[in-house]
Amino acid sequence: MTENVLEVNDLTMHYMTRKGPVFAVDGVTFHVKRGEAIGLVGESGCGKTSIAISLLKLLPNNAKILNGEIKINDVDTVPLSDKEMNKYRWKNISMVFQAAMNSMNPVYSVEEQIAEAMREHMPHLSDQEMSEKIDYLFNLVGLDPALKTQYPHQYSGGMRQRAVIAMALSCDPDIIIADEPTTALDVIVQDAILKRIREIQEELNMAMIYISHDIAVIAEVSQRVGVMYAGKLVEMSSTEDIFHHPIHPYTMALMSSFPSIVGEKTELVTLAGEPPDLLNPPAGCRFHPRCPYATEICREQEPDFKEHAVGHYAACWHPGGVK
Amino acid sequence: MWKFLGKRFLQMFITLLMFQTVTYFLMDAQPGDIADLLTLNPDIPPAERERIRVDLGLDRPPAERFLKYIGNFYKGDLGVSFSQFPRPVTEIILERLPRTLVLFLSASVISFWAGYASGKVLAWKRGGVIEYSSTLVGVILYTVFTPWFALMMIWLFAVYLDWLPPGKFLDPILWLTAPEGIHANDVFVRMIWSVMIATGVMILGLIGTQRLSSQLRKTGRWVSFVVPFIGVFLYWRFASSGISLYAWDILQHLVLPVLTVTLIAYGGTMLLMRTSMLETLREDYILTARAKGMPEKIIRDKHAARNALLPVWTGLVFSIGSSLSGGIITETIFSWPGLGLTLLNAAQVEDIPLAMGALTVTGVMTLLSHLVADIGYAFLDPRIRFS
Repeated sequence: MTENVLEVNDLTMHYMTRKGPVFAVDGVTFHVKRGEAIGLVGESGCGKTSIAISLLKLLPNNAKILNGEIKINDVDTVPLSDKEMNKYRWKNISMVFQAAMNSMNPVYSVEEQIAEAMREHMPHLSDQEMSEKIDYLFNLVGLDPALKTQYPHQYSGGMRQRAVIAMALSCDPDIIIADEPTTALDVIVQDAILKRIREIQEELNMAMIYISHDIAVIAEVSQRVGVMYAGKLVEMSSTEDIFHHPIHPYTMALMSSFPSIVGEKTELVTLAGEPPDLLNPPAGCRFHPRCPYATEICREQEPDFKEHAVGHYAACWHPGGVK
Repeated sequence: MWKFLGKRFLQMFITLLMFQTVTYFLMDAQPGDIADLLTLNPDIPPAERERIRVDLGLDRPPAERFLKYIGNFYKGDLGVSFSQFPRPVTEIILERLPRTLVLFLSASVISFWAGYASGKVLAWKRGGVIEYSSTLVGVILYTVFTPWFALMMIWLFAVYLDWLPPGKFLDPILWLTAPEGIHANDVFVRMIWSVMIATGVMILGLIGTQRLSSQLRKTGRWVSFVVPFIGVFLYWRFASSGISLYAWDILQHLVLPVLTVTLIAYGGTMLLMRTSMLETLREDYILTARAKGMPEKIIRDKHAARNALLPVWTGLVFSIGSSLSGGIITETIFSWPGLGLTLLNAAQVEDIPLAMGALTVTGVMTLLSHLVADIGYAFLDPRIRFS
């Protein structure tokens, strides 16, 4: 068993539309170690969710993985058929969805929906063991096991989110992808659930990819953070580095765009311009039209995603804003 | 549950009473009455006409007659038919009702199941010639003018191919030579019972095999499908061999009307199921089910189709009323002596007791099927059950 539970190498996924391909995920490379929590942050439409659904291969018909590999426990899942992929889904890699409110089927009890996945992936479990496991999961996520026979519409938003997390944990996956799991909830519930997720992740020593547009949420749960811009991973490092020593101009701009409660008071900076149209991404570095440090080379050549300090990767010709 | 049912029955009773009031006065508002029709011959003296009126009670004011009718109705007395004097209305209806029920129940069940199953598959395998042509056929069946379609069916199957009799409930020439003591209705009721028992056995078998392991379940299902068929066959071949010839005759006459009504109802159900399924497939919980690594068949049948069924079921509720009244047309074209044809004939000759009886039974059937559909909906959708 290797150290990396998930390795993504040069992943490129495009949506084929009538107007041409949309470059949703382009040459993304990262890895997740066993028991590690990483975050992916970026504005909406930057390809975060596209990465998530590529990892589980839940692509819509018009989406194609053109290049790269996704290794789950050293097995490349890109060439697998849908049927073969079913063995990895939920068993090795599970997901907490963005719209968790609707991600449970309204006509089946919560227990049935969790048990269904376990019957599929852990057929050796008896009904008794399955029921006990569901009780355990309910306690783990902070729900009363007595509620398991109820239907999703009888749960509140926060409870449903907890149930969805319990469902994602049901087959003991090696890695969980959490795609904006708390976005639809109010701040207090959001905080309680984030805390619970972090505790569970540490307790079960489970790897996790946390996807959010909210950098504060990411900071709370992840050990390393990847920053995405226009379908590309532009910077990746420890949470500490990303927050205090960002080297990609986009990350720098992102960091100065939200207020710090304890730190010194600085003016919030907003980034001029719009994220690029992924049908026609700009040549060279995709950030160059909005970058204050852009030079000739940025307009012509794409920068490589390379290590600038130990474990600190970035794709920029002028890291740290140095010309 | 009991409180709900009690409330519903009270509502249904009030609705029925209103329905009866309106239909009675509308029926009565037709110009003339049966006495006029019976005395069309100029040789009959006018005094005779008045005598018939007094005999039938038609000389009393409508309000008085209505109150008397309602009073008798709820005592279980539906009166005597004017046109088939002196047969009691109850007797006529008991003879005709099973024929209509069989026609519409079998057509509804078959078309609902077929529409559900094919709509589901069409939405799942989107695109391609099969989907386009099926949708086209569905739209044609859904929008076709019923009488024309029924005539075309008669032309195709009864005239051109000559496979099936063109109409009527039985073949009079065959039944002329039938031995003493064989009545069409007895044979028909016996046919209904044998099919109902077979269906019951089939359903029990399917429920019973649900708990078995997958290999045994397959065999169990197969057995519970085949055994009732064999049972019915053996029953008619040996136990009732004397009348099986006549049962076969009725069955042959039943096929074409059932097929026609089924096809017409099928179009709408299939289109609705397909659209509903396409919508359901976009839901988040379908993505969840795929992420859980569930096999395709489970995603399609257990997750998508089960939810897509809900609006189709609602559609069924709405179509019950119209299919019963549309029955008049179908029964007329196929000369099927059911309740619809009885109603039409009675209304034409101003046979008020018979027409009222037929209308009321139709109304009660509509109300009851709405109740059944509502209860079924509560079973299908837990969100209704718990609110």
